[in-house]
Amino acid sequence: MAGIVGAFHELDAAVEAIGVLKKKAFGELTVYSPVPRHELDDAIDAPVSVVRKFTLVGGLLGASFGYWIAAWTSDYWPLVVGGKAIVTWIPYTVFGFEVMVLIGGLATVFGMFAKARIPNVSRAVGYDPRFSSGHFGIYVDVRPDKYKDVEEVLRKAGAVEVRVEND
Amino acid sequence: MARSTSSVSNAEILHRPNIASADVQLPAVKNYEQVDNEITGTLHPTKAWFIGLGAAIFFLLIGAGSWIYQIYSGLGVAGYEPPVMWGVYIITFVFWVGIGHAGTLISAILYLFRAGFRTTIYRAAEAMTVFAVMTAGLFPILHLGRPWKFFWLIPYPNWRYLWPQMKSPLVWDVFAILTYLTISTTFLYVGLIPDIAVLRDRETNPVRKRIFSILALGWRNTHREWRHFAKAYLFLAAFSTPLVLSVHSVVSFDFAMSLVPGWHATIFPPYFVAGAIFSGIGMVFTILIPLRKWFNLQHYITINHLDAAAKLCLFTSVVVGSAYMQEWFIAWYSGLVHEQQFFANRIWGHWWWASVILYLCNMVLPLSLFSQKLRRNVTWLWILSIFINIGMWFERFVIVIPSLSHEFEPWQWGGYVPTWVDYGILLGSFGWFSMWFLLFIKQLPVVAIAEVKEIVKPRFRKDRQQMTDSAGDHHVSHSALQGSSSHGGSH
Repeated sequence: MAGIVGAFHELDAAVEAIGVLKKKAFGELTVYSPVPRHELDDAIDAPVSVVRKFTLVGGLLGASFGYWIAAWTSDYWPLVVGGKAIVTWIPYTVFGFEVMVLIGGLATVFGMFAKARIPNVSRAVGYDPRFSSGHFGIYVDVRPDKYKDVEEVLRKAGAVEVRVEND
Repeated sequence: MARSTSSVSNAEILHRPNIASADVQLPAVKNYEQVDNEITGTLHPTKAWFIGLGAAIFFLLIGAGSWIYQIYSGLGVAGYEPPVMWGVYIITFVFWVGIGHAGTLISAILYLFRAGFRTTIYRAAEAMTVFAVMTAGLFPILHLGRPWKFFWLIPYPNWRYLWPQMKSPLVWDVFAILTYLTISTTFLYVGLIPDIAVLRDRETNPVRKRIFSILALGWRNTHREWRHFAKAYLFLAAFSTPLVLSVHSVVSFDFAMSLVPGWHATIFPPYFVAGAIFSGIGMVFTILIPLRKWFNLQHYITINHLDAAAKLCLFTSVVVGSAYMQEWFIAWYSGLVHEQQFFANRIWGHWWWASVILYLCNMVLPLSLFSQKLRRNVTWLWILSIFINIGMWFERFVIVIPSLSHEFEPWQWGGYVPTWVDYGILLGSFGWFSMWFLLFIKQLPVVAIAEVKEIVKPRFRKDRQQMTDSAGDHHVSHSALQGSSSHGGSH
């Protein structure tokens, strides 16, 4: 993996660079930002996150498991009280709800990790510690013969630093 | 724009009346680097911090010693005397679960409602939640005669094929509290990931840098990470919101599902939830007001933020106060003599003084927050928060002890006197909670760096142009103009 990375002081400079780079389609872009910004989202125009599907599936599985564990254990070891029903859905909704939240919440985090490709402690290509502080960054995964063109776009937009990154 | 802002002093802006909207601003915070520097600057341990930590550990040891003595001697040393078999431990359990509600309310519910004032206070409140629930979770175990058998409450496959009674509120409690602890901890950690990445990137000590690298999970602030992070955070908030409401409802079922006078009321779940949020906000004030002073964070946790939180405190106080009044109405309207006598006993009986503390601290004193002047008086807010903490502990005392000591028939009536073991463990719980909180505030940022940056205006090219122009106004020179044009960024 090799490419070129540009660091920006200003948000609108980074947004402009993203627009030009997307138009010229040099290669895959990775945008670094100390905070999530709508301006960057609009410029990148990425699809909606699929994390919600993990949430839905996790929530449904959790609710089913919560009801099932309560019903199955009651049926397996019946505690008969005054002829009342052994399995009854009203009190077991507590288990259904709590386990839905538990599994749904954990599935959401799992989905975020899977889609955001973390944990990945050793990956650092294109990253600069300034990108967690006050700078915006754009990394372009591009062939070496296009380095000059990409550098020109980044500098013209207002990059304060441009450098080549190798894996 | 920049010039018009600078014409009003920061102190003036900070003391303007609050506008509780999503665009609450931090006028004294100028850029992202300032946020990093000032918030990470709070992480260096000081002498006062070590003294505080030492005191917390000392109180914890008192609690641990009391518990060891209780395990050795039996539960009888804890002041239990039939019919009062729930005492300080269950009172303190409910107290700490309640404290644990404000964090998720502030971080999740106010997030969904886009209440801007939450941004600077939610991290401390969230950490408080996790440590309060950790503290609360100890009390059902402390309350057991054989604490090493606590896991019998969890439905796990075992050789006796014996399962817990799934219709018991005590088992519901286990599920609710464990889910709440897990989700609150997850929510806290997920929110911390971008901030840990900031710490990792600034750290110079190789060992600490490695630890932060692992904890940050390789977070690089990419657009892909932020996109999925934002969605995950939103859904976690959406899940946490009903969870907050359910947990204290389930805790209230521990009481309301019984037939004991004073407990058997359908109003208990909303009454407990409002009380929990009220007590949690009280504890947020108790912790945050000294913290913002010690850490010099007054321009982050501004008077406006405290004012908005005080309004929330007032609202929950009014809800709790009306629940107290409705309890009286329910007792009268039920026509049940036991219920009516119980409430008469609350005022004219043995425990009248506890009721006075409860009504005074939770219902009367918070009415002072109708005054904007008092809402914006930090000293009064802190003093009031102490009253609220005391009042909310006594609320649970009034729920537990008078009910159990004054059931249906006079032969069932009894008394209750907490012993030094009870007080030792109560003190120990504050030591345990404070120890974790103090360790947290010096290892991880107590104000959310990434979220604060979201409300700070980013740099734009026109800002650089304005800076250049203003430099040009003062020092008209050709070299400055040439320098700006040679950068190519301000074309």
